[in-house]
Amino acid sequence: MKSSLNKVVRIAALLGLVASAYPVAAHHATTMFDHAKVVTINGVVKEVHWTNPHVGIYVDVAGKDGAEAALWVIEMTSPGNLVRAGGWTRNSVKPGDKVEISMAPLRDGKKGGALKKVTIADSGKVLTADIRAQERANLEQEAPAK
Amino acid sequence: MRNIRREVMALLGVSLLPGVSFAQGTPGAKPAAKPVINPPPTAKDWADIAKLPDWSGVWTHVRSDQDRQMKTNPPPWNEKAAKVIEWQYAEERAGRPPPLFQNCLPESMPAWMLVTHNAMEIIFSPGRVTMLGESDSARLRRIYTDGRGHTEDPDPSFHGESIGKWQGDDLNVDTIAMHPQNYIAISEAQGIPNGGDMHIKERMYLQKPDVWADELTITAPKVLTKPWVTTRIYYRQRLRRLDIVEGTCLEGYFKPAVDKDGYPVWEKITHDPYGNRTPPK
Amino acid sequence: MNMKRTLTVVLAVVGLAASVSFAQTKPAEKPVVNPAPTAKDWADIGKLPDWSGVWNPNITDQDKQHVTNPPPWNAKAAARIQFQQAELKAGRPTPLFVNCLPEGHPSWMMISHNALEFLITPGRVTMLGESDGGRLRRVYTDGRGHPPDPDPTFHGHSIGKWEGNVLVIDTIAVLPQVYIAPSEAHGIPNGGDMHTQERIWVEKDVMHVYMKITAPHVLTKPYETTRYYFRQRARKFDIVEGVCSEGYFAPRLDKDGFHVFVPQPHDVGGNRIPPK
Repeated sequence: MKSSLNKVVRIAALLGLVASAYPVAAHHATTMFDHAKVVTINGVVKEVHWTNPHVGIYVDVAGKDGAEAALWVIEMTSPGNLVRAGGWTRNSVKPGDKVEISMAPLRDGKKGGALKKVTIADSGKVLTADIRAQERANLEQEAPAK
Repeated sequence: MRNIRREVMALLGVSLLPGVSFAQGTPGAKPAAKPVINPPPTAKDWADIAKLPDWSGVWTHVRSDQDRQMKTNPPPWNEKAAKVIEWQYAEERAGRPPPLFQNCLPESMPAWMLVTHNAMEIIFSPGRVTMLGESDSARLRRIYTDGRGHTEDPDPSFHGESIGKWQGDDLNVDTIAMHPQNYIAISEAQGIPNGGDMHIKERMYLQKPDVWADELTITAPKVLTKPWVTTRIYYRQRLRRLDIVEGTCLEGYFKPAVDKDGYPVWEKITHDPYGNRTPPK
Repeated sequence: MNMKRTLTVVLAVVGLAASVSFAQTKPAEKPVVNPAPTAKDWADIGKLPDWSGVWNPNITDQDKQHVTNPPPWNAKAAARIQFQQAELKAGRPTPLFVNCLPEGHPSWMMISHNALEFLITPGRVTMLGESDGGRLRRVYTDGRGHPPDPDPTFHGHSIGKWEGNVLVIDTIAVLPQVYIAPSEAHGIPNGGDMHTQERIWVEKDVMHVYMKITAPHVLTKPYETTRYYFRQRARKFDIVEGVCSEGYFAPRLDKDGFHVFVPQPHDVGGNRIPPK
């Protein structure tokens, strides 16, 4: 009994290590997105939902090379995390912006994904959404005396 | 082995590098303005709170006064809004009260202050007054009293950005940046989305030792012809058994059930368009 | 005169007897009243440790503890955790926190990905979480005990006591549906009778939240874990109102041009459904 429980824990630990390597997460786990793949789209921002628990960006992608035009929905973490970890504001990406977005795509093939990086064409500004990029005290302050 | 290590480093780098760069400012970006730091409160800051009027306890709404003001002090609706209000009254008389607040989004400002049927508490901290509502924790206002002004481009929210200033025993609060969807509501069935550009000034004060008053001046150019002034009152309760207990609006949209393995879980239940649980057939 | 006096005495004696006997048969319960805070109460807060600021979690450590310090699940719970791990790996993470109900206690403290703030007032410490107002704990530090039959809630009934610089919290009456969750995709409903003890303190702008979680229906022994939060004082990181449900609606105009929120479809995992 004890050894089988240990085995369960060991297996869980092993798998957990694999899972924890994924950098993106939010109010729910994100393995419905395929983090082994990167899909990049170029399009025009239609709407930004700067909301909790997750921010969403809708992007119109024109049809090209036989592919149909489509509206994509890109999910991210919460506004507070984006402000602290990515230097975002709700106006960082605006409707009408031409953008290039790379994402971990939904596994089911639908037009959606978890944002990895967005580049705004006009300004060249690059934003990411890694919630772990805020893990120290006194962000934006001088490092406290040791 | 070395390749694997390089891959691991690369993987870590992907998540670590942005952290470093953003913590220090995006490379190539113009030098950031010196960040404003909220100072830690001093012993004097804490002692000074005792000099403010005492708003401790639980504050309960006065329904009869809310109802009375529907007739005696209606908002100066513009023509379009007045028509909707008229229709909403007719709907209510016909047994179909318009469901303004059935989706568990916050009643928000100013409707919370105007038509709540629940209690609230008011928490003083150095530089801030926080209002917490009963029945759902999303009823929450953060009012900054640390001397800051409004931010240049505040994120719109259900309760807006509120700046407070003590003048004697009055707390004057200035609120902007509320969602255009927020209702100006005079009851739970009569209300109009403010439409944006709303500005609310409040004078909060004790009318009597245990009567708290909020005099609101609501400017909403999209739906009101002129600013609307109304005072809402609340009664103090100090009985411990009336302390506010955690409330979660969405809990009412679920029922406790047991899953196939015997674990307690929440099961969604159905509601009618008015927000009542659907009776079984 | 005499008669009147006699009557008065008799009435007085009867009245006294009646009131005494009433008091003996049914002692009137004096209601407990929360006293108004005094100037000293406020000044005394200045002597407590400074917990001002905004605190964001060490998520990397949460991930690490998911591997190195798992809860001592009983066999039934461990089997479900194993299933959830397989689901996660298959790209179907178990949707524990997608209905906008609060994460609840102790999951909020364990795995939140958002910041929180502490409001210290006479007799109470109030914890407010970012991203949804439903993340809210009221910890009473006024010396009261737990009530005999508290209403179960997502965060339970919490009483606290300052021991030097450490806030010691005892929590009961958490709803049985509330998860003990070591990640957002792994968690077991506590099943009731859960009891948590916490010790919270700050060292060099890092908050330590030590928890000892006793949950006899799902754990074989108490689970001990410490979670960490970083202090932020930059004003731009002040917590902005968050309403989880807002993400389930889209801002639109109705037929008359009024601004309204309309429900927005989401998939089972809590993501907005991309249009076809």
